Amino acid sequence: MLVPPHGGRLIDRQYEGSEAEEIINQVRDGKLLTLNPREKNDLEMIGNGAMSPLEGFMSRADYEMVIDLMHLVAGPVWSLPVVFSQKDGDPDVSPGDHVGLKDIEGTIWGDMRIEDVFNADLMAEAEKTLGTIDDSHPGVMYLKLLSGKYIGGKIRSIRRREIESFQNYRLDPKETRVLFRARGWKTAVAFQTRNPIHRAHEYIQKCAMEIVDGLLLHPLIGETQQGDIPAEVRMRCYEEILKDYYPNTRVAMSVFPAAMRYAGPKEAIFHALLRKNYGCSHFIVGRDHAGVGNFYGTYDAQMIFDKFDPDELGIVPLKFEHAFFCSKCGGMATPKTCAHDSQHHVFLSGKKVRAMLKEGILPPPEFTRPEIAEILMEAARNGDN
Amino acid sequence: MKGLVIWIKTEEGADESILDKLGREIEVRGGRVEVFHSEAIENLGMENNDRAKAVACAMLASHGVVVIASGPEHPSINPGEKLEVRIIEESDLHRTDTKDIFMRDLELAGLVPPPKYDVHPDEEKEILKKLQDLGYLEE
Ligand SMILES: [Zn+2]
Repeated sequence: MLVPPHGGRLIDRQYEGSEAEEIINQVRDGKLLTLNPREKNDLEMIGNGAMSPLEGFMSRADYEMVIDLMHLVAGPVWSLPVVFSQKDGDPDVSPGDHVGLKDIEGTIWGDMRIEDVFNADLMAEAEKTLGTIDDSHPGVMYLKLLSGKYIGGKIRSIRRREIESFQNYRLDPKETRVLFRARGWKTAVAFQTRNPIHRAHEYIQKCAMEIVDGLLLHPLIGETQQGDIPAEVRMRCYEEILKDYYPNTRVAMSVFPAAMRYAGPKEAIFHALLRKNYGCSHFIVGRDHAGVGNFYGTYDAQMIFDKFDPDELGIVPLKFEHAFFCSKCGGMATPKTCAHDSQHHVFLSGKKVRAMLKEGILPPPEFTRPEIAEILMEAARNGDN
Repeated sequence: MKGLVIWIKTEEGADESILDKLGREIEVRGGRVEVFHSEAIENLGMENNDRAKAVACAMLASHGVVVIASGPEHPSINPGEKLEVRIIEESDLHRTDTKDIFMRDLELAGLVPPPKYDVHPDEEKEILKKLQDLGYLEE
């Protein structure tokens, strides 16, 4: 049996075809509210069940409980607010209203039955969820652009497969669950990534694969900050490495349509709970998971898991150190397994690798497999990173 | 579990396939279900009228079974303590939002079990096909 969804049931509030038409017809001529890119990602993930047990954008009670105590009013652990903000130029709404949700271009992506409209202290939210109110934190900047008024209520989302990116890799939680079952997996480990794959990542994934039935490679394709390697390039790297270096019955790759919040430890919990909904029993947490700049301690994202009873999380964090090639060990290792001095380690910072690729220098094969380096170099030449 | 009659308000002589659909849905949740078609009344040798149907449904449901029937009106019969009657318009069962609310109400009232599955068994088959088409699974 796979791990049960968070809160016990997998929410399914996603509609397509004639059912989606029905939603559009109900709301098209009424009040329409505008989704920003993050909210659009969230709407999709509430609808497809990735955010189970959430059935909509949070009302005040859940919002406050989550930012203060990391729990939903109904009980389950939840570490970050999932909220919809009132936008300039949108119509005023009040509880009881049934409204459509559209993107900036006017395309309708769902509806909401409004239960609550409330004011929030956004800098208090920043302090509690991000641990800072510093403008140089992208999450703080995001909050500073919001109105401070949130609108909560249950949603329905519309699936428009024809215009989605990565169409062949878009599996909803119910689809990954069916896939795992069909392959006979009882346990699966999720690897979240917003980086291209280097040998260090491969090593960590394979260490994890030794103790579970399968690996879900789950690159994040929602909104990230400038400077991150584009999702297309990252996906090409993974496609390439999967061809030759992983047993294909033990790995599944699918995209994770979430926006980055850069909330470090709290986002690590959030990422883990969402992966549980995709059917994963284990989740890889690296150093500084979901961090940005120097806002979080190296191990904060790993240590936060210890604050919870394992049963209330329902997914096991696998905490990993940075990995490297050690010439003395003659293989990949981490500080946990290697007894040798760092002079024997092949380790390059992300910045250093980027500079090398820009100049057309291949990183050593112990650091990046040549097939992957080629893809990254080509992307660097085209100005994709 | 308390007995439940779900009475779907339909036009006289309407297609009754919606009854089977709803019955299947409760069955896959692990509920005990009896779908009571109009035909059953005639087969029991009674005249097809809503009153006879409602009484027969109530008798069945009082044993802790979910009974699903349809007709223009649900006649007022005394359901007794062991039984609840919930009435819904057929058109509401065809609309996803109103149907979801109805089912959730029944669940919260403890009248039908919450789903035990993460993916509905009927949908699971469609998903398997899709996973094959996408190359995740061998045919
Ligand atoms: Zn070593």
